[in-house]
Amino acid sequence: MAARMKLKLKTVFVLYFMVSLMGLIYALMQLGQHCDCAEHDLPKDRAISRLQEELYRLQGQIRQLEKAKQPEKKQPPKSSLSTIFVITPTYARLVQKAELTRLSQTFLHVPQLHWILVEDSPRKTPLVSNFLMKSGLTYTHLNVPTAKERKLQEGDPSWLKPRGVEQRNEGLRWLREDRKTEPGDNGQQGVVYFADDDNTYSLQLFEEMRSTQRVSVWPVGLVGGMKFESPVVEGGKVVRFHTGWRPSRPFPMDMAGFAVSLRLVLANPDACFDGEAPMGFLESSLLKGLVTADELEPKADNCTKVLVWHTRTEKPKMKREEALQVQGLGSDPAVEV
Amino acid sequence: MPKRRDILAIVLIVLPWTLLITVWHQSAIAPLLAIRKACHHLVKEIFIIPERLAVHHHRLSDEGAEGRREAGGQDSKEYCASDKDIVEVVRTEYVYTRPPPWSDVLPTIHIITPTYSRPVQKAELTRIANTFLHVPNLHWILIEDSQRRTPLVTSLLRETGLNYTHLNVETPKNFKIRGDTRDPRIPRGTMQRNLALRWLRETFKNNSQPGIVYFADDDNSYSLELFEEMRSTRKVSVWPVAFVGGLRYESPKVNAAGKVYGWKAVFDPHRPFAIDMAGFAINLKLILSKPQAYFKLRGVKGGYQESSLLRELVTLNDLEPKAANCTKILVWHTRTEKPVLVNEGKKGFTDPNMEI
Repeated sequence: MAARMKLKLKTVFVLYFMVSLMGLIYALMQLGQHCDCAEHDLPKDRAISRLQEELYRLQGQIRQLEKAKQPEKKQPPKSSLSTIFVITPTYARLVQKAELTRLSQTFLHVPQLHWILVEDSPRKTPLVSNFLMKSGLTYTHLNVPTAKERKLQEGDPSWLKPRGVEQRNEGLRWLREDRKTEPGDNGQQGVVYFADDDNTYSLQLFEEMRSTQRVSVWPVGLVGGMKFESPVVEGGKVVRFHTGWRPSRPFPMDMAGFAVSLRLVLANPDACFDGEAPMGFLESSLLKGLVTADELEPKADNCTKVLVWHTRTEKPKMKREEALQVQGLGSDPAVEV
Repeated sequence: MPKRRDILAIVLIVLPWTLLITVWHQSAIAPLLAIRKACHHLVKEIFIIPERLAVHHHRLSDEGAEGRREAGGQDSKEYCASDKDIVEVVRTEYVYTRPPPWSDVLPTIHIITPTYSRPVQKAELTRIANTFLHVPNLHWILIEDSQRRTPLVTSLLRETGLNYTHLNVETPKNFKIRGDTRDPRIPRGTMQRNLALRWLRETFKNNSQPGIVYFADDDNSYSLELFEEMRSTRKVSVWPVAFVGGLRYESPKVNAAGKVYGWKAVFDPHRPFAIDMAGFAINLKLILSKPQAYFKLRGVKGGYQESSLLRELVTLNDLEPKAANCTKILVWHTRTEKPVLVNEGKKGFTDPNMEI
């Protein structure tokens, strides 16, 4: 009887071990399996299946449309719209990312736009590099630092020294280099526009400037100490300029008030901005080497509409931030602003 | 053989395991985890798809407008020049000048913007409209601080092609701010925002369409990601805002459980809701369910305006942190300088008929 009992115990243990092992293996295998529980139709499930249906439907539509457009896709985008090359100088400051963000949101609406963003910095900053990558625009990222003596110091009024000169010239230089690699007449077609990162541009402006043959001009709002500055047009030609400040300048306009055709830029490889020019003569320093006043093409309904505004963004007040930083409690610098 | 004992023993061993297996099979633990991930992923996909679709629609509709870049598939062409590190990338994503087509799945974002006449008004509205044109299912409620709707705003709204509602209410003279000095007793835009809330309540009284309400000022800067973050608001969602409160940014404090427990601010961090107007969004259902909740007009201390509305709607516990648990900046409280118009002189130098 005792021997039998012992045997019994051993068998019991072995049996128990085998059963538990099998059960565990079964449970583990169930873990990776797809659960087929249709009886638990939670509202989340319903939402998901609805979203999935919508997703498949839309994907199907895209595929159909892509198929329809397939033959055109192979060729490079040969559009009859001339490319607008926008040269924007930028520099690091608190509002830089905000300005570039809303500028890019405007540019995304303009077809055939190539953004040449030139940083005033010895190296390309990661903020701008990452921003451009995510922007969805066609862009070129350049950088050139401004010499120290030409740079505005803290506390200098903004009109003391011209800003963005080296950067714009660098943009022009790159453009001229790049176009050399682009053979044929198609590569010479385009318009060059100098856009500052804090101005406001309406979408119509870009359509107006696309037809520039030499240099086209239009009014600019909120500049020169006035509601707007504008060329005065008579008989389809610019006869004089309406401005409240130094109207004796050869071209009393703001940087945002004109666009130059690419052909003209390439035909005059030495034309660039002169940083030594007196205040307000920066635009003239470029234009006088390119065109005369009577050759200017007026846009914006014979210069009667304002399509660009020279807005300026306030410098955000950082008094509390500075106070905190002295205490060592400043906001996390890892968070990109 | 003592059969009964054997059988009893075997049954006692096998029974717990069979129970365990049956229970495991019935439980919804594993499926729930999968659901949450799938939902999130799907919702993100749905948001991107309509934009890609929009381009195709436009290319089909206006064959004449060549030059629209292709969407669907990203041809990224990268090459480095030998002398300089120039990277040119050809991105082919979305480019269009009309709002994306209306989706039946996305909740509508109702954006409430008060505005008032000043020289930079048209510029501000133009660039903010350029931003909104990228956002699907957006409804812009623009309220003017004026006696009558101005033609400037009316024609601007019409030309943008956005889905909009144009309202107006004039702040009485004794409430208006003198010049530009910020009078902390009278927050700007309060009556206009309240009017918009009332309009929403009247319009959507019997409508159960999902919607999100966001207060956007016309001089701030918004990233497009922000609007997608706020779309999933269930009650009130919050995120950091740059350049407010004299700091680089103000942000809600989020604990490890993903709940808001405080405010990272220097200016009166003990306010019930130490957040800027641009830092939160409210689900439309919540607005409709609390018809008495409005911004307080009088007797509001500086910085407490947002709290005057939010405290009637939610508690701190109900807030949903967005923007990667409040670690990314998606909105900047930029302010535009007042343009210097010295050269206009007393009589005005420029043609007053030209609209700026």
